[in-house]
Amino acid sequence: MPRRLFAISSLLFLAVLAVSPAKNALRPYRAIQREYRRLGLARARSLKAAEAYRQRPVAIQQIWLPSLGNRVDRCTSCHLGVSDPAMAEVSQPFRLHPRTAHTADDLDRFGCTSCHGGQGLATAEADAHGSASDAGPPMLPATHLEAGCGRCHADETVPEAPMLSRGRALMARYNCFACHTARGREGFRPDAPPLDSLPVKTGGEWVRRWLRDPKALDPNATMPRFELADQETEALAQYLFSASVPRDLSRRVSQAEQEPKGDAANGKRLFSEGRCISCHTVEGKGNGSAPELSTIATAATRGWLLSFLRDPHAFYPQTRMPQYHFSESESRDVVAYMEEELRDFQAPKGLLDPLPVNQTLAETGRRLFQRYGCFSCHAPTKAGERFGPDLDGIGDKKAASLDFGRRSDLPRNLPAWLGAKLEAPRSFAQGLRMPSFAFGAFDRRAVVTALLSLSAQPVPAAYLRSAAPQPSMLPGGPVGALIAQYRCLSCHRIGDQGGDLSTAPLAAEGSKVKREWLVDYLVTPYTMRPVLEERMPVLRMPRDEAAKLADAIESFYVDPRVPEDPFAGRPSADGDAGEGQRLYVTLGCRACHQLSNAGGYYGPPLTDSARRLKPGWVYTWLKGPQRWRADVRCPDYGLTDTDALRLTAYLETQTAPPAGAASAGGAR
Amino acid sequence: MRRRSLSILLPLALAACSRHGAAPAAATPSPATPPLPPYEVRMGQAVYQRYCETCHGTTGAGDGFNAFNLDPHPRDLSDPAFQKKKADVDLTDAVQRGGAGVGLSPLMPPWGRTLSKRELADVVLYVRTLARPAQPR
Repeated sequence: MPRRLFAISSLLFLAVLAVSPAKNALRPYRAIQREYRRLGLARARSLKAAEAYRQRPVAIQQIWLPSLGNRVDRCTSCHLGVSDPAMAEVSQPFRLHPRTAHTADDLDRFGCTSCHGGQGLATAEADAHGSASDAGPPMLPATHLEAGCGRCHADETVPEAPMLSRGRALMARYNCFACHTARGREGFRPDAPPLDSLPVKTGGEWVRRWLRDPKALDPNATMPRFELADQETEALAQYLFSASVPRDLSRRVSQAEQEPKGDAANGKRLFSEGRCISCHTVEGKGNGSAPELSTIATAATRGWLLSFLRDPHAFYPQTRMPQYHFSESESRDVVAYMEEELRDFQAPKGLLDPLPVNQTLAETGRRLFQRYGCFSCHAPTKAGERFGPDLDGIGDKKAASLDFGRRSDLPRNLPAWLGAKLEAPRSFAQGLRMPSFAFGAFDRRAVVTALLSLSAQPVPAAYLRSAAPQPSMLPGGPVGALIAQYRCLSCHRIGDQGGDLSTAPLAAEGSKVKREWLVDYLVTPYTMRPVLEERMPVLRMPRDEAAKLADAIESFYVDPRVPEDPFAGRPSADGDAGEGQRLYVTLGCRACHQLSNAGGYYGPPLTDSARRLKPGWVYTWLKGPQRWRADVRCPDYGLTDTDALRLTAYLETQTAPPAGAASAGGAR
Repeated sequence: MRRRSLSILLPLALAACSRHGAAPAAATPSPATPPLPPYEVRMGQAVYQRYCETCHGTTGAGDGFNAFNLDPHPRDLSDPAFQKKKADVDLTDAVQRGGAGVGLSPLMPPWGRTLSKRELADVVLYVRTLARPAQPR
């Protein structure tokens, strides 16, 4: 009896031992590799290629990257055709890797999971792609694939990843990092106005409406909707009106309130010359990075509008709005225009009436201001502590660790959870405080992509890609003060500082334009590119300030690559303007540029190039426009030195002021 | 005693071997969002919008902002007959060498030195998506 039992158990033991090799022999990847061999043989164009397919061993393929977190990717055990051009249109898993920024040629450097996510070690589909419930974070879905780029590419803009870049830009614009921190965003400075002058800016009813839904009053608003109860709205409004307005500001506003009414017609002219819509919008037309102005006179008191326009930086030190050099009466004219035309004619009376403060309610409001984290944007603390949870590692969260709360309708995965958090943050449970940002479906997808790029562990330094900060190129002293007053950096780039509204970075401006022209242009700018809504505003800059700025630009912002005289040491035939004219025609420059009353409006007009541009710059530009900025639209024609010089010589003969240049700025 | 230990060990051993047989959790698609064109097409669209749209227009009809200045007018890229006539290499060649390079108007500049090979291929791929459906005659 014991002997028989022993025999049976031995047999069973053998059977159990055999399970493992049998399972290995039956692993799906082996069948897949045999199928790939058949497919390759069917598609092979030569005997040699066919032989290569035939001789492929059936074995696990892996990429081992000790320097990238000891990553082991076995994805190519099934995805055998990733770098095989013969597999361009076959179905997965054999398809050739698409032609992206990193192609299959980069496999040995990055592997697969560093971009795509998923479990590199696994060889069964469900485990590798991460849809098995006990696996790690799953692969990134195709819609959010660019999140993978963001693991190494840390800059806000990643040219090859437009969706990621858009998401990151939205996260900065909507001040996400004011409440949440993330690696590299510790020093983020939110862009929101201080609230201490609110009681002299607007009225109680307007504040209530704004708190209920900022986007309903201003489609460009970046402030989210906090879904407040009516009592909460009232208490917050009370608190905001209990603030003590700095005495200097309230005096300015009350004095401005007493001033006589200006000339609305002149104000309208100043408003359009001021190119307010380069940042603001009026009925949706304009850039939209600053508030919509079509109802501004309904939102703010006359006194505030006047005193803000005269000195915006006193009310809102971080604003991107320049201080226009309007005279007292000119600013009255602009505000008169706003009161006449930029108002909501259907708005009820009393929107701007001040709110009598009830101290008890105001105290409740103060607590709500803390509770909802309003201070994060409007009164950030010096220490910079953050109100909301840390976002590092949010892209690596496992679905099992997420709190779906009441949202039983959602698919149990991270992208869906993040999307719902953005769409309806309060729907998960009671008492949540995150406000809703009213992103459209596309923007939400972009922000989710940016969130998924935030990994728990940073990639090794050798893999991290981000632009090194450049030393500041901003001058101090009176010129620095002028640059700050006119907020040049709100639109222009100097080095790695400043905004990107203008197409003209200023770091080489001194090598580009002639000083006399620049002074005139700063005093009365004219339209360089009618195709753009964003144009240089007429800032009413006095001539002496313009001269000071032009002198500084002429001496600081020069580029050593631009020769002073490109014709020096060249044969005189190179300066043949007639040949240059012929080239101008045969190359088709007039498709984009205006010259002799003909041509396109895409590039800047060239009618006054002799007055505007330095010949050294024209020559260097023609030799390679993309040297100044990679995305310059002027095509590189690959001109010879002689051709570039002849064109330069031809443009040096053009002196007529462009049409509309004199009238655009008005007589001044 | 021996029998009992076997009856415990056997299911355990089998269970250990059968982990990979576990049914995968149902993969649920993410909530409804408009379908995204392939990456290459999206990159091509970005190139098109930056360099081509001003003349050739948003839909490729040759009616961009700058088109009215141009004589001859920019090509209507959405014309199905044109799309059918030209192979990808022809389109790439025209973008690369410009109008003058292929015996047409020099107002179409050569982009071969400005755009990378990948950008060229992507923009041709996007131009293909601009074709209007052919009108039945």
